[in-house]
Amino acid sequence: MSYLQNIYEQKDKLWFVIWLLGIAALGIWDMLFLNQPAFRQLRIGFYQTIKIALIVILLTAVVSWIVAVLLERLENSRFSALYLAATFVLNIIRSIPQIVGILGGYTLITFWLQNGTLRTPLSVIFAIAVTISLFVFLELVDLIRERIHYYKKRDFYNAMRVCGISENRIINTEILWKNSLSHIFNKLISIFGITIFLQCSIDFIISVGLSTRVSAINLPVTLGSLLAKIDSKQDILAIGHTFGDITYFSRLFFEHLQGISVAFLIVFTLLCVYKISNGFAERYEL
Amino acid sequence: MKSKLLEHILSIVVVSSIFLFMMVQFQSQSRDVEMAADREIAPFLALDFIDYDNPLHRSLLKESMDAFYPGQESRHAELLQKIQDHRAREITAARQQDNSGKGLSAPRLWELFGMYLRFILAYGIVMFLTYYGVQTLGTLRFVQMKKGQTSYLAALVKHVNKCRGADSANWQDCAKTGATLFGKALAKGILYMILFSPAYVLAYSFKTRFDTDSLFFMVVLGVLSNGLLINYANKFYTFLVSESRKGYVQTAIVKNLRNSYLAEEGGIKLGEIFRLRKSFEGHVFHHIFINARYQYLSTIKEQASFLISGLVIIEMALNIHNHLCYELLQNILYQQYDVVVLIVLGIYLVLKTTEILADYWLYFESRRYENKAS
Repeated sequence: MSYLQNIYEQKDKLWFVIWLLGIAALGIWDMLFLNQPAFRQLRIGFYQTIKIALIVILLTAVVSWIVAVLLERLENSRFSALYLAATFVLNIIRSIPQIVGILGGYTLITFWLQNGTLRTPLSVIFAIAVTISLFVFLELVDLIRERIHYYKKRDFYNAMRVCGISENRIINTEILWKNSLSHIFNKLISIFGITIFLQCSIDFIISVGLSTRVSAINLPVTLGSLLAKIDSKQDILAIGHTFGDITYFSRLFFEHLQGISVAFLIVFTLLCVYKISNGFAERYEL
Repeated sequence: MKSKLLEHILSIVVVSSIFLFMMVQFQSQSRDVEMAADREIAPFLALDFIDYDNPLHRSLLKESMDAFYPGQESRHAELLQKIQDHRAREITAARQQDNSGKGLSAPRLWELFGMYLRFILAYGIVMFLTYYGVQTLGTLRFVQMKKGQTSYLAALVKHVNKCRGADSANWQDCAKTGATLFGKALAKGILYMILFSPAYVLAYSFKTRFDTDSLFFMVVLGVLSNGLLINYANKFYTFLVSESRKGYVQTAIVKNLRNSYLAEEGGIKLGEIFRLRKSFEGHVFHHIFINARYQYLSTIKEQASFLISGLVIIEMALNIHNHLCYELLQNILYQQYDVVVLIVLGIYLVLKTTEILADYWLYFESRRYENKAS
């Protein structure tokens, strides 16, 4: 009982449990009422979406940490020109709307698919993850640099320097690992949500707009590409039909299950990730 | 500010130069490719006795080429495909009357400029509405939190526990209040789902009820969907919370500044929260609010980027004809990369202009609040 009470009070854990339960409930419902091929596609789409998002946050965490620490070292070194050049390039990436940048990346991926550079499904997934990471990692870089600057103003930084502890150790171990991990983790949770949103959107756009050029077989099935399928779109259109004929509502959960399930998975995941991130920030008072 | 402005201008110059160079390159490249392709297929298109719509004619042409030039079967198939592609492109362009697939020309540039202006208009309206919405929702949530209001679901659970021991006379009241709380919780849940829905999910849900191709619908989607409003309202709320914990707030309260949030005790009224120019003079919240808004200004650049991403998604995913981002997608499809680069440059300039304006605004506010000379 106290364990349940504990979960109820820690909103991040509560919403994580709600997310898992929601997916499990949908899975059981779909297993009973959705046709088997569509259910299989839905499972694959969800799995691939989560897989890409997890690779993105892994890449983002590693690259951001390295880039932020490198920038910090460059800023205080005699290579100030290099620092200016690096921040200039990063600011240019920042000034390109994420979706436009990722669309450019996808254009390259389809080109590499067509000329055979990308052959295995894993390489395609990895290329997609790298593309998305490139346009989301700066958020984490900013956060890490903010944390370093914040702690550098504190006395303990100078005290450690006087004690002869290397700057590398102070930044990586004392500031980031010991004192900023919860901030980094919270940012990664929001990046996970942003990644799912961007990935689903771009896959939807590609499947709707560029489907004549790009073979759907080559790109991994994700929730976005599943939603772009004509039958899924028909299912979503049926929601609008319900506004005119309320008796149609119950049929949504039996006859239009494919599109409704995909849309629900996207929206429900985004909502839960937001709540988890908020709860986490509340729990650690970030 | 000068160094920031210099950096922005340098960035605009460098990126514009790179993009313009790419545009020229793509233009000459596509002209060369087009000319080479045209040279290759022109003699076949001139054969007026062949009806390319007729599969029999196409097969006959291929078999004739295979018979006369043996060993080049794949080349012949490719040639036939090029003829088909060329014809498909011409038909689509004629049907849409939008010159898609013809690269950059003066009328095409003029047409794109019109779309660009419409994009900027939609962007400006959505930016203004979200700026207002973020502050309003953030303030509303903060005031509710200060009033001690819990979520409707938590209130419902509490209410059910309280009503367990109620007698039959109070039962009806209990049920009524319970139903109201449940209805409110449900409405809030649906609202949350709407605010977190990607634009295409929302748009397809309402497609049969509204004209989804209008500027109005685009603006509504831009504000409500993609999680833009809710995420930044939450950010504003956290700024308010962190400001409210600062020492100056406690000092002001000790010095007897008005600090009740209940409207009946001279606190914050609902009308004040929804006002366009928010001001809470004489209340401690006034200072919390202006300090939180100052912090929020630094996130406007990030919000602008997210907002543009949202608008791009709306135009592309909903295939809104004669809109800038739909054109962008079409030109990627037709491999007209000169037009693609031009549109991307246009979008980049919108974002960069917003960044400059946001930096200037922040600088202006900093001078006011931090008493900075430069």
